[in-house]
Amino acid sequence: MEKGGKGYSSLNKGGKDDSPAKSAKGRRVQFAEDSFDPISGSSPMSGGKAASTQFKGGKGEKVANGGKSTGSKSSKSSEFGIEQELPKNVKCVMNCEAADILQGIQDRMTMLSKDPAIKIPVSFDKGLQYAKSNSHYTKSESVRSILEPLADLGVSEAELCVIGNVCPQTSEEVFALIPSLKVRRSTIEGLVREILRELGKLKKPM
Amino acid sequence: MFFHIVLERNMQLHPRYFGRNLRDNLVSKLMKDVEGTCSGRHGFVVAVTGIENVGKGLIRDGTGFVTFPVKYQCVVFRPFKGEILEAVVTMVNKMGFFAEAGPVQIFVSNHLIPDDMEFQSGDMPNYTTSDGSVKIQKDSEVRLKIIGTRVDATEIFCIGTIKDDFLGVINDPATI
Repeated sequence: MEKGGKGYSSLNKGGKDDSPAKSAKGRRVQFAEDSFDPISGSSPMSGGKAASTQFKGGKGEKVANGGKSTGSKSSKSSEFGIEQELPKNVKCVMNCEAADILQGIQDRMTMLSKDPAIKIPVSFDKGLQYAKSNSHYTKSESVRSILEPLADLGVSEAELCVIGNVCPQTSEEVFALIPSLKVRRSTIEGLVREILRELGKLKKPM
Repeated sequence: MFFHIVLERNMQLHPRYFGRNLRDNLVSKLMKDVEGTCSGRHGFVVAVTGIENVGKGLIRDGTGFVTFPVKYQCVVFRPFKGEILEAVVTMVNKMGFFAEAGPVQIFVSNHLIPDDMEFQSGDMPNYTTSDGSVKIQKDSEVRLKIIGTRVDATEIFCIGTIKDDFLGVINDPATI
């Protein structure tokens, strides 16, 4: 009988058979994520090593972008390596802003949709619905101007947008959800509290 | 998260579309080809918002098609590691639950669900705290953190966690 080693069957290279990480075609995929402890939920900074989650089991595809994230090497300034992964001309857009943009496009599309050749993609509908349902503010155009002062203190655009999207209630929540801001806590905490107060005034009633 | 980005693409146009409506035909073809697609680098292209530049066309030898380099602005949706976002639960099973945020699917393993939440099978499978005060079931809204992403040919799939502070259920449909 063929031995596959400790914990391995001859057919299964390890991992759970019914792991949902398996793709439909039966390939095992490896989710590469840096600096993450799946048990404690903490995220200590590491040197960019690609660690697998508990779905690791045998050969599988590596994540296209996350395998060796160069962003994590410079993650002292921002946990979000997204700025390094995307081109320089990228502008982060909050959900409320995206809702306005996409709604405008949909209004134009309604006229064009009378042409049967033009089909509105599913991802557009999903994107618009998501943006509208997660837009917490009555005046979306004011949100960015309220958050702008944080940019002068070194907060990245992605971090600003996450604050705008999540709409935290307390400064504790901000620093818990965006750990990369903790290094600047002493300088920005007062401003964060003020900004959250301002954002609270713009919030839509539940 | 949504991004507004300028991308470039080489569009091939058949000579039948030439004429005074050439630019309109080019833009229509661009939107048809690009909207709804997904790439590893940029994520889902949700909508084209404008055309920045259409370069000079180059006739391809042998076919008669003309290739135009087109620079366009578009809104893309791309999740990234560490991002906090709100998603709607679509399926719950003993391994964890699936949720959807826009065009992106996210899986949260039972290992990344707080330990005080247990899986309850039945007609409406769910994860519930021991005192029954918090429940995660289909259509629940949850705030989660992305900890990993995988890109397929046509979609992005993410792994998330709700085990950190300030993460978890926002809205339970049973209480509405």
